[in-house]
Order: sequence, then C-alpha cells, then structure tokens
Amino acid sequence: MNVLAIESSCDDTCAAVVQGDGQVLANVISSQGVHSRFGGVVPEIASRHHLELIDLVVLQALAEAGLSLDDIGLVAATRGPGLVGALLVGFSYAKGLAAAHRLAFAPVDHLQGHVAANFLRTEQGQFEPPFICLIASGGHTLIAHVREREGFEVLGRTLDDAAGEAFDKGARMLGLGYPGGAALERLAAGGDPAAFDFPAGGARPRAGMGVGRIEFARSLDFSFAGLKTALLYRVRELSESELATLAPDLAASYQAAIVDSLIARCEQALKVTGLERLAVGGGVAANGELRRRLASMGATVHVPAPILCTDNAAMIASAARFCSALAYPAYLPLDVYATGESAA
Amino acid sequence: MIVLGVDTATPATAVGLLLADGSTLEAHDHPAPGERPGHATRLLPLADRLLTEAGLQWDSLQRIAVGVGPGTFTGLRIGVATARGLAQSLSLDLVGVSSLQALARRALKEGQRGSVLAAIDARRGEVFAGGWSAAGELFTARALAPDDLGDLLEHQGPGSAFEHHNWLAVGDGAIRFRSHFEGRGIEVPSDASPLHRIRGADICELALDVESHRTDPVLPDYLRRPDAEIALQGAAG
Ligand SMILES: [Zn+2]
Repeated sequence: MNVLAIESSCDDTCAAVVQGDGQVLANVISSQGVHSRFGGVVPEIASRHHLELIDLVVLQALAEAGLSLDDIGLVAATRGPGLVGALLVGFSYAKGLAAAHRLAFAPVDHLQGHVAANFLRTEQGQFEPPFICLIASGGHTLIAHVREREGFEVLGRTLDDAAGEAFDKGARMLGLGYPGGAALERLAAGGDPAAFDFPAGGARPRAGMGVGRIEFARSLDFSFAGLKTALLYRVRELSESELATLAPDLAASYQAAIVDSLIARCEQALKVTGLERLAVGGGVAANGELRRRLASMGATVHVPAPILCTDNAAMIASAARFCSALAYPAYLPLDVYATGESAA
Repeated sequence: MIVLGVDTATPATAVGLLLADGSTLEAHDHPAPGERPGHATRLLPLADRLLTEAGLQWDSLQRIAVGVGPGTFTGLRIGVATARGLAQSLSLDLVGVSSLQALARRALKEGQRGSVLAAIDARRGEVFAGGWSAAGELFTARALAPDDLGDLLEHQGPGSAFEHHNWLAVGDGAIRFRSHFEGRGIEVPSDASPLHRIRGADICELALDVESHRTDPVLPDYLRRPDAEIALQGAAG
C-alpha cells in the first residue's frame, strides 16, 4: 500500500509517497527560505507560504512517484507538535484530499515521524527497535527509548532551548546571521574547543523545581539556556578586536559544550536501558562534530541521510505505516495540537 | 451545476450545497462568544452531512467554492486549504469568492434597495469593509478604522455612486461598531439578524458567476501584510 504524507509543522512544506515496505518513492521538500531576514521563523509568514506551496508540493510528490491519488491507500499528515497555523494548512489540505476519495487517514505525531525515519528502506538499511533515539533540531531536543515501531518513551527532553536553537542563538551572538548552525560549525573548525570552559548543558538545576545540580546532572533532561548566557557574557567581556581573534575558539568551545551534553545523555540512556543501539534524527544530526563523537561511542549508531533527518514527509509516511489509521469519516473532526500529545 | 461552498472568514463555519435544480442546502457552526472557532473541526463534518442529506457522494460535486475573506487569517487558511484538498482530490475547479460580497449579496437579495456596506471584524479596532449596490461593487475591499468610514463615503463627490444612497451595514464588523455606523446615518440590522452571517448558499451562487482559473491558485485575500514584514520595513526606515 502506498502512503501519501504531508508535513507542515514549521517552515518546510513537504510531501512524500512511501510504500508499505518503507521504500521512498518521492520525498519533496520546499524550504521557504524567507525567514532569514527576520532572524527566525515567523509563524504567519510560514503559514502563508505553506498555503502557496502545498498543491505544487503534493502534485510533485505524486508525479515523482509516478502515481495518482487512485494509487494511494492511506493519506497521512503531521498533527503536532509545531506551529498551529502552519500545521493547520497541511493537515486541513490532507483531510480534504483524503475525504473526497474516502481514503483512510493517519494523523501523525511529528516526533514519532523523526523516530520512524529510521524504519525507511534506504542505502544504510532499516534500523529496527529496540534502540535509543536522539532527536535534536531547532524545534525540539529529546532522547527516546524506542521499544517497538508503534511508539516511543521519552527519557529526557530539553527544559528550555532546543539544541538547534542553541546553535542558532550562539551563531547570532557571534554575528553569523540566521540560521547560523552551519556557519558556527565552519567557524569552529578553526578554533580550539578547550579554549573556553562552557557548562555542558547539564549543569544547570531545573529552575524553581527544587531539583539540585547533581540530580539534574543524573537525569536525561537537557538545558542549553545557561550555556547561551555563558557565551553572551564572554562575548560582552571581549573587545571587538579580541572577539575577532577569538571567535573561532568561542565557536569551537560552544559547539563542544552542546555536543558534550548530547553525547553524555546518549551514553547515559544506553547505560540505563542496557542497549547498544543509537539512532539520531533532527537537523543537528548534520553537525560534523556530533557525528565524529557518535562514531567513537562504541555503540551501533544509525544516522539516516540528511534529507531524512531534517523535517520531511517521508518520515511522516513511515510513521503512518505503524499507527492505527482512521477510516472515513472518523477523521473529519480532527484538529492539530501545538505541544504535547493530542487532547482527545 | 452541483457546487459545494464553504466560508471561514469569521469565527463561524458556513457550508452550502447548491444542487442541480438550483436549490441549496446549508449548515453552519457559530461558536459562542469567547469560544474557539470550529473551522478545523466542523468544516468537513458539516460538508459530509450536507452530502448525506442530499443523497450525494463527494464525486457528485462539479465545483468547489470558498470564501477567500478578508477575515481571520488562520480561519481563511483552513477554509482554503481544505477546499484545495477537496478540489485536488476530485480534479475539480476551485473558485474563490469574496466573503464580503457574500454578505452584501444576501442583503441585496433580501430587498435592500440602497447600498450595502459589508463589514467583517478585522480586530485591532478595524473592519474589513466593501461596498455593493444592485449595480455592482462600489469600492474595493479594505481594512479601515470605523471612524475613517465616514470619510470614505463622504469624500465621493456629487454624481458619484455614493450620492443619495441609503446605506445598510451588515456583518460582525457592523455589529461590533454599530454606534460608529449609526452615527454616520448608516443603518445596521439588529444583532440577531441573519443578514450579519455569511451563508454557504451565497458562496455557492457567487461561484457560478465566476470563470474558474485552474492555473491560478486560490489564496486568501488577507488585505493585511504580516506584522513581521511591516516591522522589518519600519526598522529599515
Ligand atoms: Zn522536526
């Protein structure tokens, strides 16, 4: 059975066609590229662009797959979490598309999608549960225990910024523009990661919750706000000329702190669960330093191709294969959700 | 022609089904004050209900019509996205029609002899307004403060379409700013009047008069740019 999926939770308008066995027939991603001048994704602008692009992206996915809607057995769309206005465009369109053909419909959790990217048939092969999955992007950072293909258990998540957000904010402080994660990595390549001692995203107690430093350090939660503040103070202390000289060291040390935090949590999660298999998803998976550190961890590490790590609809289609789809007309009243699990 | 028409420009969700014999079926959802609009959850169930009532299937439809606003941005996108999904699925023409015109059309149809000022609440102390008479559109839709409405109407010189018109204002914008309108001598029906509500039947019927353009994607008529763009332009001087 062929699955047609739509993903529109942030600023990428995506559609994909995936076979029941996980073979990707088409994976179309239209990155809006209009948000850099605003220094971040603007929800209203993202929503407008989704609506302009959605028809074309879906038609292109069907064309690339060489299929028509009559060949589709299941329509899927991201239901949340994400920007509500953006989600509503893809989700409403997908419901309409499915309804008029009386097709089954699968509302898919975006994070389950990132996990399910590992179940697609690719050159690296499929990666089967059980495994630990680190999902790190500009929108979310969490570590999950994946026991079966149908779901996952969250072992830890970020208490403040996402890892990708920390990269972008650090890049902005270093004058690298938005989105600056890749630019920060390039700058860091010429710097000394040990030049500055930044807190490794796990040393800050959970604010106001009475959980001490040590207890937090043992937990699997992430925190990047303290790191961001530390960089800000360093940058302020330095004169313009010092900053110009030391920027590569600052970038390298800052990047090392983020990666240290991610790696430490992965190691801890593997230890706690007794697993030796780790999968990584999200845009941060493209970071070279993270990949180097992952490779030297001693665990079996699976990182899907970059196009399947960043937001895409193939991963949504993949997840849809393992969730219970709704028959017509049960899905007609479904709404999206911004955070957490669906209310109903 | 069998037409399904939907409108989500206001907090209400309106659906209409125009049948081959020219009759229409309608369904709508009006959230209570303060309640979240039901666009995402009510639109398709209402459409499904109308089809069932008419004994039709989705593939009985020959055209899809959608109110493109102006109105609430998210609401409009839910309506347009849903309509485009349906139209794409059925390989049908999708026609976008003005939600303001749908309001005006109803008032004229129900016997208003002068001109109709259709006004949708645009929040931020403004309305989206458009003017129609039996002869057609009087001025293009715009977002404006109710206080500026008088200027718009008065600044039309003698002999213009605006002279000697009896104005009737309809829509949730007319209800919200009733005193402004009435202060200008513009009549506003009672709050409970059905003339204030956009109806699916009018969306369907307006779509009959429009040539459809399959190459021209139907998009909302926002009438306002995103705040972030305006702010960015302001910062740049
Ligand atoms: Zn994501």
